[in-house]
Amino acid sequence: MTTAIATHELSKRYRRVSALTDCTVTVPEGRVSALLGPNGAGKTTLLRMLAGLVHPTGGTASVLDGVPRQDPAFLAEVGFLAQEIPMYRRLTAEDHIQIGAHLNPRWDASLVRTRLAELRIPLDQRVGTLSGGQRAQVALALTLAKRPRLLLLDEPVAALDPLARRKFLATLTSAVADAEGGLTVVLSSHLVSDLERVCDHVILLSGSRVQVCGDIDTVLAEHKILVGPRKDTAPIERAHQVVQAVVTARQSTLLVRLGGGPVIDPDFQAEDVTLEELVLAYMGASEAPAGKHLAPVGGEES
Amino acid sequence: MTWLVWRQYRAQGAIAIVLLAAFAAVILADGFQIASHWHSVLVACAGNRACLQQQSLVNGVVSDLPYISLIVPVVLGILWGAPLVAHELEARTSDFAWTQSVTRMRWLTVKAGWLLLAAVACGGLIGALTTWWSGPVNALSASAFLPGQFDTQGIVPVGYAVFAMALGIAAGTVARRTLPAIAIVLGGFIAVRLLISDVLRPHYMSAITTYYNLTASFTPRGQVAQGGVSRAGVTVGQGWGSVGDVLRGPCVRLLNAAPVGKSGSPVALLSCMQAHGWRGYATYQPAARYWPFQGIETGIYVLLAAALIGVTFAIVRKRDA
Repeated sequence: MTTAIATHELSKRYRRVSALTDCTVTVPEGRVSALLGPNGAGKTTLLRMLAGLVHPTGGTASVLDGVPRQDPAFLAEVGFLAQEIPMYRRLTAEDHIQIGAHLNPRWDASLVRTRLAELRIPLDQRVGTLSGGQRAQVALALTLAKRPRLLLLDEPVAALDPLARRKFLATLTSAVADAEGGLTVVLSSHLVSDLERVCDHVILLSGSRVQVCGDIDTVLAEHKILVGPRKDTAPIERAHQVVQAVVTARQSTLLVRLGGGPVIDPDFQAEDVTLEELVLAYMGASEAPAGKHLAPVGGEES
Repeated sequence: MTWLVWRQYRAQGAIAIVLLAAFAAVILADGFQIASHWHSVLVACAGNRACLQQQSLVNGVVSDLPYISLIVPVVLGILWGAPLVAHELEARTSDFAWTQSVTRMRWLTVKAGWLLLAAVACGGLIGALTTWWSGPVNALSASAFLPGQFDTQGIVPVGYAVFAMALGIAAGTVARRTLPAIAIVLGGFIAVRLLISDVLRPHYMSAITTYYNLTASFTPRGQVAQGGVSRAGVTVGQGWGSVGDVLRGPCVRLLNAAPVGKSGSPVALLSCMQAHGWRGYATYQPAARYWPFQGIETGIYVLLAAALIGVTFAIVRKRDA
């Protein structure tokens, strides 16, 4: 299996602030990866470094077997859509199609026209006057028209209403299906429920560090929720990594990452986790006082 | 890439062309009128220098029109130069432009290239029109080398326009926002223009000093007014006296007694000064250096523009977007 993205201890510091620290992630080709994390976790920084817009201050990134760089061949392979849905507001969608045709070697203008016709979005209207959902659709269609092998989407659905969000994700899903494994997507958001439907891979950033990286099925199988009486959990902590522990007067609820074997304590009942529970547990853990540092999961494909 | 430039600037370009055409029309209409008046004056005066010097060729609002060319470069720098990078960053459209299959360097090369070319065209056209329009005035009063005229004619307007455009592009890149960039262009352009025209320009080549005998027509207690030596040149410094200290000679008493501000001097003063070997002198740049000076000044501005564009490229290549 080939890798679309492989980073090693990728870091970015802005003067005193650390935006991303020692980020080591791998995304195999053809995956649709959910990049999750709270605000300020470093999602945007990671995506912009992968697109070659931001230079790392440490570590390395390999994107489609090369360093992100100012090279037409590299730029042609990577589609990037920023959070703000940047477009020339006074130009029309048709103008943008023309711009794209002049700036890209493999430009699929008919793809944009077909998709926008399906969505009944006018081509001859200034994009500044379109609704947020329509604008996001135009931008996504333009990004797809590059025929990229890697698509980096930074919270493109954040500002959209549920219906527009669903349409946007439907467009994305059909593009992935059309590409038949040739398109890798990394899609950042903090709306887990949206991503769960379209993604098969997850990268969880929190506190500017990678907490989890892997195929969603694998990651979920590696984690369990343990429910049991209130008691000393030290034996469990020795064998497994406790991500989050909620202890009430009567019962303990632990979200653990299994450390190689099953949980053998008969007092505890193991339950499956959902992606949402997992994400919330890791986000909560990184906000907790320092001391328990969590090593990232990763490289499961090797 | 060129298509993108065309699409983004075609409306503004059309407005600029209309304004330039209007300027050209007024200058041409007035210029032909001045030229025909000049010809009739030449015929009427029949080579009589005194007669010619009493004529006035230009008057009215149109005579100030060439000074527009002093403002045009800074307007270009503000309207086109400053937003080139700054507005893309402000509107985040750089994220769109810089993730197409075109490197930032190429994007900047083409955009800055066309804008600089537009600056050359604007500066060149306005400069050429003004030079042609000033022809009769230059012939009559030989004033093309004087500050003000020198700055609006010949090839220096091209240098100013290219420099202002480059300053705008660089300022927008450094400041990342259009408004501060505009302030930098305004302040920077005026400061550099004044510095170069007032401080540097007189020293492009070492000035020539000419001595001449005093005549009854010199103005005591003032400067030597009627030297007739430097009419066609920028006068770097003008004064009179022997090579020694002027004010400590034996004629000082007579000089102090002379009427203030009046032309013509008392015979006693003149003969005293002539007896003691005092001479008038003028330090000046001869008229023949007009084109070398134009070339040097244009070269300085083009070099400054090149340095600014170099800085812009270095920043756009290295900085995070």
